[in-house]
Amino acid sequence: MDKLVTLWEGSGLYNLELGQAVMIMVGLLLLYLAINKKFEPLLLVPIGFGGILANIPEAGLAISALDQAIEVAKPAVLQQMAAALGATLDPLANAEAWRESLKALAHDGVAPDQLRAARDIAVGSGYSDGMLYSFYKVAIGSGIAPLIIFMGVGAMTDFGPLLANPRTLFLGAAAQFGIFATLFGAVALSSVGIMDFSLNQAAAIGIIGGADGPTSIYVSSVLAPELLGAIAVAAYAYMALVPLIQPPIMRLLTTQKERQIKMTQLRPVSKLEKIVFPLVLLILVALFLPDAAPLLGMFCFGNLMRECGVVERLSDTAQNALINIVTIILGLSVGSKLMAESFLSFETLGILGLGIVAFGIGTAAGVLMAKLMNLVSKMPINPLIGAAGVSAVPMAARVANKVGLESNPHNFLLMHAMGPNVAGVIGSAVAAGVMIKYLG
Amino acid sequence: MQDLELLQDGLALMALGMGVVFVFLTILVISVTLMSKLIGRFQPVPAAVDTGKKASSSSPPAAQSDEVMAVISAAVHRYRSTRRR
Repeated sequence: MDKLVTLWEGSGLYNLELGQAVMIMVGLLLLYLAINKKFEPLLLVPIGFGGILANIPEAGLAISALDQAIEVAKPAVLQQMAAALGATLDPLANAEAWRESLKALAHDGVAPDQLRAARDIAVGSGYSDGMLYSFYKVAIGSGIAPLIIFMGVGAMTDFGPLLANPRTLFLGAAAQFGIFATLFGAVALSSVGIMDFSLNQAAAIGIIGGADGPTSIYVSSVLAPELLGAIAVAAYAYMALVPLIQPPIMRLLTTQKERQIKMTQLRPVSKLEKIVFPLVLLILVALFLPDAAPLLGMFCFGNLMRECGVVERLSDTAQNALINIVTIILGLSVGSKLMAESFLSFETLGILGLGIVAFGIGTAAGVLMAKLMNLVSKMPINPLIGAAGVSAVPMAARVANKVGLESNPHNFLLMHAMGPNVAGVIGSAVAAGVMIKYLG
Repeated sequence: MQDLELLQDGLALMALGMGVVFVFLTILVISVTLMSKLIGRFQPVPAAVDTGKKASSSSPPAAQSDEVMAVISAAVHRYRSTRRR
């Protein structure tokens, strides 16, 4: 009978907390959106599944050895750890109270060497880092997974349309207004007292408006790791929603006549230009904005591999096998941040709300910039392609094309929209660099 | 009081960020335009390169197919002559 009780007390059902149950439902919802609604399935399937894994009670897949030991270790081990952390446990209180106080202690600024000593005790007593925790530490904690994805994106990007019409870079710049306007919005919400975001957190939320998954993850891993789960989920969910979010804004800000504007045929771009462009970009980053060097450096490297034509094998790996492997690990790592205590809060709702505002403002800024450029330049620019300035490659460009076709079935804007689209990737990486420089 | 400071910081970061993004991309536009002009000057017009490539690439297949035709007809000829016997 005792054995049965032990088995029951070790079961998931016995230990399931309300928060964990809710988070498992959230994970299932993400899987549903990915599988049934085709919302960025390549990322939301691993993220959703990782979220479910992270919330399995007692398994502790997403927590460190120290936290795991605090949760489940025997009282003797708890006392050893408390000694290592330089605290004494109240002998009258029960083990649950000890766990609570140890948890508060471990997460509340003890000296690093004390923390390490406590960790050593935990590892020595046979507790180890959870699988997802290790994934997170290697892939996102070190920053490499988003950067490798960025390299793959570089290897998949054709800068031809951008080189043929470099002025579309301005559209990519204008659309970044979404990032900074949202940052300001988050700060304003906190100063009014509705939410409680620090400047770092506000910046990480704003970057959702860059509509660029790897950039969002990179920036939030540097500036606000505690919000990473919510930010990544918001970024990828809204990227999938681009075809729903953008068209109403685009129609609202343009007249039928403007939507029908035909653009001149793009000139052919020579191979040499395409090879030199990533190098020019890299040199400019090195000269003016070294903080954007990790993101844009990997991006340029990937693009150079694609265009130089002598390392087909590397380019092929970067845009297929490697990016797929890293996507799996990145998705699971992001999922590990979908833990009840950090995700189920009022702030998450704020992040989801601000994220959609960021997309909207970015789209509007791009369209308005295109209209402004139309006033001053001779070459006609269809304002719809401004909306493609929020990266979200290639979805935003396709949306611009589709809305253009609605107004004039013979007006194909796709190639023209690819210019601002890839410019948006560069723009959001630059914005990320600025924020990391300013706040990091 | 602290809230006001946060708001000011946010505004400053917004202005700085947008400024840097625009300045950087403006520099990029200028350098890309310059690069394209330079390359256009020192390299023969890309269109000419294209036609050259096409002309050179279209001739080898023609020669090759002549050869292949000769081989095939020879083989067919031999096959027929062996069958008749």
